[in-house]
Amino acid sequence: MSTLHSDNDKYAWQSTFAIVEAYNAAVKDLVRKRFAEFAGEWNDFVAGPAYDVITKDDIAAIEVRLLANGYRFEPSAMSSAAERPHAYRDSGVNLADFSFEHPAAPTAESDAEGRELRGVGDNVVSRKADLIGIARYVRTSDKVLEYLTQGVPPNTIAVVEDSGGTLTAPVLEKFTGVLCAGGTTRSHLAILTREYGIPCLMNARLSGIRDGDRLMLEVTARAKTADDYQTGADVSARVFRLPPA
Amino acid sequence: MSEPQLTYAQLLETNNLIQQNADETYWLCATRTVQESKIFPVSAYILFSYLNCWYRYPELLRKIERHMSAEEIGDRARNQGIKIVAWCLPCFYLLGREMLINWGVITPSDGVKDLIYTLDFWKRFQLSWHRNNGNLINRQAGHRAQVLPEQRLQVFHADAFECRDGDPLHKAAQSFLATAAQYGFLVSCESRLTLHNHGPYRISDKREMLVRDFLELSESTVPWLDGVGGEIPYNNLTVTMILEGCHINLLDDWGSFESEPEMRAEHMVGVGLYTADTLSEGHIPVGMGSKEALTATFIDLTERIKTATAALWREMAGWTRDQQLDAGAITYYAVIREFALIAGCYEMEDWMLIDERAERFRPLLNDEYGNLFLGELVGYISSPSQRMHDYTMMQHTDAPTRSLSYIPYSILEDGNYTASVGPIRPGDSYLPRKNDRYRTTQGVFSLEEFMRRSREFVPQVCQPQYRYLCADWVKYNAHTPLAEALFKLEQQHSRVLKDAGAGLRRDDVETRRNPT
Repeated sequence: MSTLHSDNDKYAWQSTFAIVEAYNAAVKDLVRKRFAEFAGEWNDFVAGPAYDVITKDDIAAIEVRLLANGYRFEPSAMSSAAERPHAYRDSGVNLADFSFEHPAAPTAESDAEGRELRGVGDNVVSRKADLIGIARYVRTSDKVLEYLTQGVPPNTIAVVEDSGGTLTAPVLEKFTGVLCAGGTTRSHLAILTREYGIPCLMNARLSGIRDGDRLMLEVTARAKTADDYQTGADVSARVFRLPPA
Repeated sequence: MSEPQLTYAQLLETNNLIQQNADETYWLCATRTVQESKIFPVSAYILFSYLNCWYRYPELLRKIERHMSAEEIGDRARNQGIKIVAWCLPCFYLLGREMLINWGVITPSDGVKDLIYTLDFWKRFQLSWHRNNGNLINRQAGHRAQVLPEQRLQVFHADAFECRDGDPLHKAAQSFLATAAQYGFLVSCESRLTLHNHGPYRISDKREMLVRDFLELSESTVPWLDGVGGEIPYNNLTVTMILEGCHINLLDDWGSFESEPEMRAEHMVGVGLYTADTLSEGHIPVGMGSKEALTATFIDLTERIKTATAALWREMAGWTRDQQLDAGAITYYAVIREFALIAGCYEMEDWMLIDERAERFRPLLNDEYGNLFLGELVGYISSPSQRMHDYTMMQHTDAPTRSLSYIPYSILEDGNYTASVGPIRPGDSYLPRKNDRYRTTQGVFSLEEFMRRSREFVPQVCQPQYRYLCADWVKYNAHTPLAEALFKLEQQHSRVLKDAGAGLRRDDVETRRNPT
């Protein structure tokens, strides 16, 4: 078996994540094998024969071996798990009674005003008044399509995990507020809510919020800046569940 | 004829350019989260694009330079308002290299002449584009992007209409900005590559101007806007925003900004609207005849963009994962296609397809591996190729790491390297082929006609007699007929400054804008 340039790395190090290490090692094994079969110099191999002897089928076989061991990938795009359910874990995206359960979510019993702390988030823009609305989970394109065709219910605080700007694109403007369990105040969703003037908390650590809950977002809190992220400053806005109106 | 030998100076400079990109890339990635989307496999397509960049950029840049030099393209970019998020060129290309090094597919000594050429092209383009502030990248200017010359800024300043939070123009402009930004994220598959900002530019002691570009709005180069973007009458729009009570304290090499305090709607007190492209004489005013006309224009454009957003979202939500992967990868990879459009040598096959050499790796790019490998490459800096000796303290982290591998100097002595990845190989895509309609400021054309016009078109300010009339020349020659002519070229479409000439200072412009 031939050796590769990287086989002689003095500071040999492994990737942080096991799947990255496994995949990258498998590609290296493949290259070693094909280079050995070539039986020539690397410089004559790398930008010519290698293109034809390291094939898409070879690469596909790496995944087949991993899946045969029972491994299933963590999905991020809806299409990935929908098209290949045998290759991805169930993300629970279609669970009817879903709630975000973040281990670091601060919670507390109801206070004198009946406000029950259910988490915190990073405020995008400091507003003049806190926001009260109804929590509605928006986690799938089917839900967005429903809102697109039937309209967004009034007073909706969209509870989302996707900090991007594409999933909710055609209906975002209609939300009263946004509570996002991912991203930062620099994420695309945050940028868009700022442009639209929609109160928004990002990077929310939440627990026990159900579809239909009446919420109060403390959007009068200071906005979290890039400096705050870099210095690790604790700048959080609270999320309360309120008694039904 | 034998190939010219590599020199020590070439490698020193190339490695310096690699390091400059490494430092900025890490900082940009560390201060933002990884983009995510439930619709697009974002990290996977980003990795896919990097591979396409590695395999295709060098040959395509050489092809472009057979038609026009990088420096001249930089002049066009500056003067015609063409916006290219130029951080992308070296970083996408170099991160493709880093991926392949970690896979053992290449070594740091492979594709060396490609590397030298690609980074040199980028350097020459950047220095030309940024010649008004002399910096290679925004980072060198303390994260500021003062790209435009005085004569263009005076027109933007003079013609911007005053507005206040809640008035009809302000409301219409704000709604447009939000809608156009959202459409931009969708068009560019959750990236921000069709949105760009530059500035700030000082308008007064209390005011700054930010120039915001919204690109690829109509039917142009990407196939997914065929039909969808047909009712949007401009492919690129530029909004000039005058801000009060808000200082833009950071404008990075991704073209995004931060301000102190955080920018809110009420900070916008002036606004203007323009379009520009490879066939325009700089920025052409859009709806700038009166405040009422501009308000109506913003409202009309917003409605058109909303309609296009809903249609595009429905289309994209129905795509297969392979189509999503291709669209995202092509969005990233083809971010520099404007070079080819300017040079008049754009071909769909060059820019809208995945090279078969990159295509081989598609089966690796599941969501989880994509997220984690990209995270290691640009966030954790934890791939084996990025580990350096134990005394190393990386900028920003102090860790014994380096984001991007250098070219080893040893190749100067032992000659053990390869020069190039070789010619472009055939490509393919799961997306429909682009139709032959390209909207420009001169009309809607077939690609052949568009490119014919691009090859023939030289903007007046890029003609030889004006090309090198820089800010330092204007400083000492504003009294000359040539300076008058230069400024009048810029002022020809201005509502306030038409034929005003070269002698005005910023306060004179403000007086003309708001005569008492």
